[in-house]
Amino acid sequence: MPTDPKALAYFAAGIGAGLTIMGGAAGIGRLAAAALEGIARQPNAAGDIRGAMIVAAGLIEGVTFFALIVTILLAIK
Amino acid sequence: MNRVLLALLAALALPLAAAAQEHAPRATPASPAEAHAQAAASPAQGEPAPAHAETPEEEEHGIAQVLMHHVVDARYGHFFVAGVDLGPTKHLVFFGVAALLVIGIVQISLRGYREGGVPSGLGSAVEALVVFVRDEIAEKNIGHDDGRKFTPLLLSFFFFILVAALLGLLPFSATSTGNISVTLGLAFVSFLAQQYGGISKFGMVHHFMGLVPPGLPPWLVPIMIPVEILSMFTKPFALMVRLFANMLAGHMVITTLLLLIPLMAAISTALGVFMIPISLGLSLFILFLELLVAFIQAYIFTLLSAIFIGMYVHPAH
Repeated sequence: MPTDPKALAYFAAGIGAGLTIMGGAAGIGRLAAAALEGIARQPNAAGDIRGAMIVAAGLIEGVTFFALIVTILLAIK
Repeated sequence: MNRVLLALLAALALPLAAAAQEHAPRATPASPAEAHAQAAASPAQGEPAPAHAETPEEEEHGIAQVLMHHVVDARYGHFFVAGVDLGPTKHLVFFGVAALLVIGIVQISLRGYREGGVPSGLGSAVEALVVFVRDEIAEKNIGHDDGRKFTPLLLSFFFFILVAALLGLLPFSATSTGNISVTLGLAFVSFLAQQYGGISKFGMVHHFMGLVPPGLPPWLVPIMIPVEILSMFTKPFALMVRLFANMLAGHMVITTLLLLIPLMAAISTALGVFMIPISLGLSLFILFLELLVAFIQAYIFTLLSAIFIGMYVHPAH
């Protein structure tokens, strides 16, 4: 286990990026699945569902980016 | 709409310039790229040639420096006003360019409406977007008459964020919304609009009284009040970070993918040459994605602002 703080920071940045993408992709994947199922059930509601899907995806990605910024700061500084 | 945009400009330019105090221009490691043909390929993509560090151990620092150089501010000059350096920085310049572009586009589109005419070309495209924002975003979330009142502000948000993001995709330019001071200003204006919506409708006292709906069990009220007051601030804060992170991350990914070329080239020249089509292809893909993200982020910022304003203008209780 490295003890040099810079090495630990890079290590943590890598793990952090992986965890971030796990959470974000899982959330957006579930969202996409539900949206696609909704469109399949009612094709004439496709426009509304698509709009709501994009908004929700944007919000979830916003949260993901919070974590991503922290990770990038660890790697850069 | 122009007056609102000018007010927006004024509200944002000052914190941006003030925060730019901390951003010293980042010096890339001095030596230019070696005579690799692949270094000439990356300016074709629009990024200035990445610097080449001397030793492999310094490669990481070199890469990181170049990456940061592309996404953070760069100061072009000094212009002191009362101890605050308002000198032009890269983000401030492109911020002004984006704002002027929006005003210019609107003025050109307005020409199509003269003497009761029907616009065509740019005017009709702008009209489509304006009607979209007014009907789908403003009126659906704020209500019919109040929606019209807030439409100029929402339009300013939408067009400014869109134009700033698209401008950042050009070579040698910067996305001004990729600076947290700019998004701080935008979120601050959104916050002011939310408070204005509530206070102008209900008056100062009732606006804050309305945070706590009547008919709550009494043990819930001490929890509700700090939560509601906190949410008044976290909502614009989330708007700020979301927009900033999206714009910043896009540019960082593009720059990182392009920097893979010299990274691989440091290991071996053949690997570097092999990397070129892969890197360029990936960067192109991400650039197209950034186009989509520009529209989506503008839409989300405007939509969420409208929803929050609607929450204070038409509290659901």
